[in-house]
Amino acid sequence: MSPGEIFLAREEQVCSRAFPDGWPVVRGDYVVYNPQGHVAVTTLASHIQVQGAAIFGPCKTENLGVEKVVANMISNSNLRYLVVCGAESKGHLPGETFLALNKNGIDDQGRIVGSPGAIPFIQNLTGEAVLRFMRQVEVVDRIGLEDESEINALVLELDRSARAFPEEPFEVVKRKVRPSELRLENGDVCLGCGVRLDASLWTVDREGDHMASNREGA
Amino acid sequence: MFRFAREQSVINVGGVKMGGQPGELPTVLCGTIFYHGHKIVRDEEKGLFDAARAEGLVLRQAELAEETGNPAVLHLFARTGQAFLRYLDFVEKVWNGPLIVDSSDALTRSSMARTATEIGYADRTIYNSISVALTSGEREALQDSDVDSAILLAYNPADGGVDGRIRLLEEGGAGLERGLLPLARDLGMTNLLLDPGVAPLGSGAGSALRFSVVAKARFGLPVGSGMHNAASSWGWLKGRGAAKKCCDAAASALQQLAAGDFVLYGPIENAETVFPVTAMADMMVAEAVRDLEVFPQPGHPIYRLA
Repeated sequence: MSPGEIFLAREEQVCSRAFPDGWPVVRGDYVVYNPQGHVAVTTLASHIQVQGAAIFGPCKTENLGVEKVVANMISNSNLRYLVVCGAESKGHLPGETFLALNKNGIDDQGRIVGSPGAIPFIQNLTGEAVLRFMRQVEVVDRIGLEDESEINALVLELDRSARAFPEEPFEVVKRKVRPSELRLENGDVCLGCGVRLDASLWTVDREGDHMASNREGA
Repeated sequence: MFRFAREQSVINVGGVKMGGQPGELPTVLCGTIFYHGHKIVRDEEKGLFDAARAEGLVLRQAELAEETGNPAVLHLFARTGQAFLRYLDFVEKVWNGPLIVDSSDALTRSSMARTATEIGYADRTIYNSISVALTSGEREALQDSDVDSAILLAYNPADGGVDGRIRLLEEGGAGLERGLLPLARDLGMTNLLLDPGVAPLGSGAGSALRFSVVAKARFGLPVGSGMHNAASSWGWLKGRGAAKKCCDAAASALQQLAAGDFVLYGPIENAETVFPVTAMADMMVAEAVRDLEVFPQPGHPIYRLA
């Protein structure tokens, strides 16, 4: 086998395991055509039927909507382009947010640097996931474009020239919510009959019960 | 059901009271009109709409409020300042109760605060909302306006749990240098309504319920939400019309049982199902807290429908 053939064989191998079973990993309002395609399309606030894309669908919010698209893209190494088209969602600006995220990433609080959207935060993905999105995906800015045939032609052109990202699919894990501090000594909502609710825990206790459990704990 | 140890404040906006202990005041129901995608709107930018159908919706909400005892608020959504002016012309003829003014565009929200002041609607206007998305333009507009009622959206994108929302209200976070509560007070807001911000199911919708109880216990302020968002964004319900309506109304009732004082119940068309469910839940809550020495106020559904 020549070096070129070895390269091609390796490329095919990468392509064949470039997306996990059960992809897309996050549910949403989208259509999947071909998980082995290289182009995803978000039509923002417009509802456009796109031909030839691996996956397409609208995205109306600059936080949860954007991070769902990111999660589904990085968990499929075949996807190399995100075409951002259709009408921008007023105030939320997810289209501009995709561009900012791809260019600048997020800060330590999860804010998408440089996004003009209202609340542009990545809440459920790790910083590594965002870095992977920046390395794997090129965002193609066609905000405002609603012409189906023009979008389809662009998808075809991009798909022809692309290859799968040469790394395993990124395993998307939701960032854990910080657990609440557990305190049982004070109730703050009364239910009568000496029964009370600690509202920060939604825990109903009877006077004396929690003391008993504290003693057991000690 | 329960009674809060802390005293619960009652606010009055345009003659509608909200707040207090669960079971004391009827739940206030806020139906949205001219929302994004509302079929009666022909042009969202200019604010062109079918006035006859809009009037029918507003009047029906008012009738149901009168019949059940659950006060209504008109939640007015506008895409632009121009559209808002058209909507206000219409409102003047058909509705004299409180208004929630709302837009996804910050410039439009600013113009709403200014316009409400100019035409003398400030005392019946609730600004939606003061949140981490508040712009400097909005701050200026609110400070200059006579509007003194606002919804504080406690959605904390940097810390989505109950603790993060409470912290956002008290101390700030997610880029906001101060808590929403002190910020709103500095902007001249005296009637503060708390809203956890409801994420879709699977992204934390349920935490909004626990927030409601915690927030009332800590601050003693009226609390409510657009809990219907959990149902309306639930993909599984797509194409299941009757089930969707049931879930919408049930979501409102869940908010009530989590000590909600007001419910942003979504499209005003849903008044038909939401008002009866809300009235029923209010009656049950009132009965549940009777021996905790909480008594329903005059006009409560329990005096009209039980």
